[in-house]
Amino acid sequence: MTKNLSRALLYGVLIFLVFVYLLPLWSAITTSMKSTEQVALTTPVTPAFPPTLEAYKIAFSELKRPILNSLAFTVFATIFSSVLGSLAGFTLAKLLKGSTSKKLLMIITFGVFLPYQAILIPLVRIISNLGLYNTIPGLILTHTAYGIPITTLLFANYYYEIPDELIEAAKVDGANPFSIYLRVVLPISMPAFVVTAIYQFVNIWNDYLFGVVLTRGEEAMPATVKLANLKGSFVANWNVQMAGALIVALPTLLIMIALGKYLIRGYTAGAVKE
Amino acid sequence: MKKSSDFPYILLFLGPALILVGIFVYVAIAWNIYISFTNWRGLMPSYDFVGLVQYKQLFQDPIFWISIKNNLILILLFVPGAILIGLFLAILLDRKVRFEEGFRTVYALPFALSFVVTATLWAWMYSPSDGVLNTLFDKLHLEFLKSAWITDPKIAIYCVIIALIWQFSGYTMIIYLAGIRSIPTDHYEAAMVDGANPLQLYRYIVIPQLLKPTLSAFVVLMVFSLKAFDFIWILSRGGPGTSTYILAVQMYVETFAKTKFAYGAAIATILLLMALAIVLPYLYWTYRGEKK
Repeated sequence: MTKNLSRALLYGVLIFLVFVYLLPLWSAITTSMKSTEQVALTTPVTPAFPPTLEAYKIAFSELKRPILNSLAFTVFATIFSSVLGSLAGFTLAKLLKGSTSKKLLMIITFGVFLPYQAILIPLVRIISNLGLYNTIPGLILTHTAYGIPITTLLFANYYYEIPDELIEAAKVDGANPFSIYLRVVLPISMPAFVVTAIYQFVNIWNDYLFGVVLTRGEEAMPATVKLANLKGSFVANWNVQMAGALIVALPTLLIMIALGKYLIRGYTAGAVKE
Repeated sequence: MKKSSDFPYILLFLGPALILVGIFVYVAIAWNIYISFTNWRGLMPSYDFVGLVQYKQLFQDPIFWISIKNNLILILLFVPGAILIGLFLAILLDRKVRFEEGFRTVYALPFALSFVVTATLWAWMYSPSDGVLNTLFDKLHLEFLKSAWITDPKIAIYCVIIALIWQFSGYTMIIYLAGIRSIPTDHYEAAMVDGANPLQLYRYIVIPQLLKPTLSAFVVLMVFSLKAFDFIWILSRGGPGTSTYILAVQMYVETFAKTKFAYGAAIATILLLMALAIVLPYLYWTYRGEKK
């Protein structure tokens, strides 16, 4: 009897918390499907009736170019930082041994905890001096560089678990490290690539700070920066802002819902190590 | 093993990563510290070495101390808040809950969103005239709970904290769930055989095992709270007035709005020192503990 009661209480709390956690999202969804008049006449949690895509049309026309920009630099920086992290992680876990490997890993992983404000001014100078200010390649380079610390850590942790014998056996057969990486390591790296790439995609897509200091015009501006700018602009009715927020959130929301398991593995990889 | 023959490959594989991290992290840090000792002001990068002038000015700047105070409030309230709520969620979900994955996804959803998105959502939540919270409290006849929220300088920083806890508790929940799940089941069984009740089970088996995840969650959240620029900037621009300023916001305003680059670099250096004070002991502890 008390057992049933405590189960009921448990589910009661869990379901109540679902409402609490989803309230901001729910309100954004309903508001985004209302006309400006409906927003004024109904409460923020009332379902939109009849629903309209008016706000989405405005938000999308504002965000179209920035979304393409975001997609472009996010995809490339995700690929580059994952590949470089895999190569570096493999080298640290399997080619180098002992304290050299550990020290190098520590030097690289420090970047995971770096407050980017501490490099922001030099970063803008570096990217400007390379002629990459306000360009997609500038954002790709930046996100690749600052992605390497976490991708290297994720791959190194993965490769530590591969038995050394596998590498040694290939060596005895006369394979060089390059062919070992290609033929032995890469084929079993898919799980690590999936986790790392998803983690990186979400991180880079969500970035605001690099985007806001490294771009000016629409040619390279990320979707997050444009969304932030919408807030202060003339079209910024709440319905348009919410539609814009949901459009920008869509890729990462879908990833969390469909591939959440892998994303979660990325989050825990750094924190829980046995 | 022929170590020497591997060397070109080590250079080839590790080189790009080390060069990029070397330039974008370490050279950039040194460069920023150097800038903080100059008088660089204005868009043209021309400046002279002036020693500690920026720091002297900074320590007399009341806004700097407001920022430091808010950074400390975040560390004292946001960090333990997100950790405790995450732990609470993890303990709830660890009770063989049906649809666990569904619940978990919902609670972790906010953490997958950009701070620009969540700040936009919370601007609507907190909007005093027509926003979600005040309208809801009106309808539910809980008028006494209505508030000016983010527009009231006295409570604005706490509004920021509530929203950040909403976004981060899913993350700490994930960390704790993984920690709880990694406890070998025979530990539980042994304790059950000894007649431990659920409370004792947590006290003697679960909590000690959660030390490591707790520590890393603390470090991650503390470092985050130092640099929580995006969210605050978009939700409140550091306002009303300077009531939600933190160092990262002040650094951005001084540098990119007022083009006081040397001054901004000095703020960034202080921020870096605070992060180092948190991260270095942690990295030392992690890598030392890994000697197998």
